[in-house]
Amino acid sequence: MTQVEVLVIGAGLAGLVTAWQAAQGGRKVRLVAKGWGALFWHAGCVDVLGYYPLDAANAVSSPRQALAQLVREHPRHPYALVGIERIEAALSALQTLCEAANYPLHGSLDHNWLLPSAVGAFRPTCLAPETMTAGDLTRREPMVIVGFEHFRDFYPELVADNLLEQEVLARSVRLDLPALRDRRFVTAPLLADLFERADFRQQVAEALRPKLGSAARVGFPAVLGLRRAVEVKRDLEAMLGREVFEIPSLPPSVPGMRLHNILVEAIQRQGGEVLTGMEAVRADAANGQVQTVWTEAAARLKPHRARTFVLATGGLLGGGIVAEPDGTLREVIFGLPVEGPHERVQWFRLDFLTPAGHPVYSSGLAVDEHFRPVDADGAPVYTNLFAAGTTLAGGEVVRERSFDGVALATGYAVGTQLAAQAQEAA
Amino acid sequence: MGVQVQPVEVTLDNCIKCNICVTACPVTAVTDRFPGPKYEGPQAARFRHAGQPSPDLSVDYCSGCRVCNMVCPTGVKIAEINARARAFMVERGAFSWRARLRNNLLARSETIGKLGHPVAPLANALLNNPLARWAAHVVLGIDRRAPLPRLAPQRFTAWFQAHPKPSGATRQVVYFHGCSTEYYEPRVGRAAVRVLEANGFQVIVPPQNCCGLPLLSNGEFGAARAYHRSNVRKLVTFARQGHAIVGTSTSCTLTLKEEAPELLDAYDEEARLLAEHTFDLNEFLLTLAEEGTLRTDFQPVPLTAVYHPPCQYRAHRLGFPAVELLQLVPDLHISVSQVACCGIAGTYGFKREKYEIAMQVGRPLFDLVRQEGVPIVICDSETCRWQITHATGVPAVHPVEVLAVAYGHPPEGPLASLLGG
Repeated sequence: MTQVEVLVIGAGLAGLVTAWQAAQGGRKVRLVAKGWGALFWHAGCVDVLGYYPLDAANAVSSPRQALAQLVREHPRHPYALVGIERIEAALSALQTLCEAANYPLHGSLDHNWLLPSAVGAFRPTCLAPETMTAGDLTRREPMVIVGFEHFRDFYPELVADNLLEQEVLARSVRLDLPALRDRRFVTAPLLADLFERADFRQQVAEALRPKLGSAARVGFPAVLGLRRAVEVKRDLEAMLGREVFEIPSLPPSVPGMRLHNILVEAIQRQGGEVLTGMEAVRADAANGQVQTVWTEAAARLKPHRARTFVLATGGLLGGGIVAEPDGTLREVIFGLPVEGPHERVQWFRLDFLTPAGHPVYSSGLAVDEHFRPVDADGAPVYTNLFAAGTTLAGGEVVRERSFDGVALATGYAVGTQLAAQAQEAA
Repeated sequence: MGVQVQPVEVTLDNCIKCNICVTACPVTAVTDRFPGPKYEGPQAARFRHAGQPSPDLSVDYCSGCRVCNMVCPTGVKIAEINARARAFMVERGAFSWRARLRNNLLARSETIGKLGHPVAPLANALLNNPLARWAAHVVLGIDRRAPLPRLAPQRFTAWFQAHPKPSGATRQVVYFHGCSTEYYEPRVGRAAVRVLEANGFQVIVPPQNCCGLPLLSNGEFGAARAYHRSNVRKLVTFARQGHAIVGTSTSCTLTLKEEAPELLDAYDEEARLLAEHTFDLNEFLLTLAEEGTLRTDFQPVPLTAVYHPPCQYRAHRLGFPAVELLQLVPDLHISVSQVACCGIAGTYGFKREKYEIAMQVGRPLFDLVRQEGVPIVICDSETCRWQITHATGVPAVHPVEVLAVAYGHPPEGPLASLLGG
């Protein structure tokens, strides 16, 4: 029978990275999740730190410097627990994996990209796939933003108008393609599928070429293929004679799915299992150790026994932590103590846009230096239970624009730590 | 351990419109006729009210594979919402009489088996006659290319009655054979009985009916309810005695466990008892392994195979119990298919307007089978096996047939020609 060593709960970025690192380190890994996770709603970049301090006027230009300050000022932030060295190692491991999948992620801690968002805002991010980097807004070359009739999840006029207001030379073009005209539904996955076909790209290029004028680069919604995106981008560049880039759009996000697929396949290649439709609902423990996690199944619960367990179910946003009607915050599987305001009146400050932020958004699980959730006295609740990702307390991932960085760094820290334990045991 | 069940209609409020289901739906990926689980399920369900027309008839193109349920991060029972919407259409008379006649012919496998079996050679000749298939294609809408099964010369239960019971059995188990084992592939039932007996069980095969799934997935809820009630009546005594009721057809066991109670609101004590005591065979064998009572002195079975876990198997939410078992068999090398669905989805791929869709859905799986160049495919669900063989020409068997050989029984069917019977 399969003797699972590490059971990871959650299929967001943190869960997948933990499982990948633990499996790569030789551990027998099973990942269970209720469904697919946040990567499907994800821009497909790695935001490490976009805004810090939170009241600063400008976006962070060097994540390394801003991180040093953050770690100094917030010793309980998940980044402080991981440490800058391991954050960098996590980024580099992901870059190596994506490079091997012919989908390079470019960037480093020394510099944030400024790329256009789906509404034409400036979006600071640390690592961006090769398909997006030509959208760099610090460069001056004029751009054309392309949209498609019948595709309702991307509005090129909105992007171009907002960029123009911010003094970026951009204009919009809408293509009405025969290949899309007779479709009842044009979705991002459908376009991604079409873009992988040479005849469709040809059709796009022919329709687009006369409309490009003096533009030096062309921005598309992020639908340039699911499996062969870099190849698709290069082919379009060759046909258009201009640089091409993608702009992330509404969910489902194709660049997020690419990262998801790369990570899932990496886990499976190392012999790990990735199972969805399995919502973890409760756990049994004895002698300070988790013994079994139970997942929902047809007609009965299914038990999963393992040596170590990793909780990567997300915070209030991801559903790993829920709020009771009285304002109490509850971790849903293990009933772990949640750090944060436990009365509804304390959740928010009176000023909606206060630079100090609202207390409820930094709530989560407090952990020790090994990422084990701790009780009020700072002792681990269970010696074999670890937590990773945005279920952790102390960050303000949405306002900091650190969501992906926190998930990646903590997942990497937990996964490598479990892998190292396996090597010690062996 | 029991499960708290959230009613189907309530779950639609959990939908956050994230579209993950649309990215995973194998039907949406190949046809414009089905816009996607989110649109047909939670979104359209808000517009379905008694006494009003259904907002979009395209929900009939849902194959019921339940891939959407498996990827939904917020627990919406999308496939069940769609199944109920189809039943609502049937109730409102949205299908022509001809479509309903065709659907009922396909969905009443028990009746067809009962009627056809006494005249099996004639029935088989008819089912394989190109002219008859043309007529069925044109008049009824049963696609002439679809892989209709052949009636077996001997029904499973006839074999079982004549089968000598082993002495020295220490425990008892109930076997739910399902229609396909009874009429078309009794070799699967023979293998199941041998594997259970090898583990010291006395196998009980009580009278039973079709699980009702084909009717449920054709929106014929009234007839499905009659079958389910009858099964509950016939089997609940065994559940009360604490016996496990195991099945080799994954969709039958899923129906007894969950689909019938959920879709038909059959949450009475007896239906629940039956559900809680129903097991997929591999799931059951794995529980034996965990308590240390599974015989694992398997003989080598020198084969290379692709194992395809059917969508209806994944929907049990058990992981891949068959893979865990097959890995115990020496010299057996399997590669596991990650493809979501073979396309056939019970009766779906037999229908003229859906045959091509079903073949397109299964294409990644067929490509995998051809690319691996294996002599055999292992798969738990009968219609999937027929579809895979139809599309690739590669024969397919149930995992339990391999296990029976590993316990030393002579191979039957496709395994006999591969391993020398």
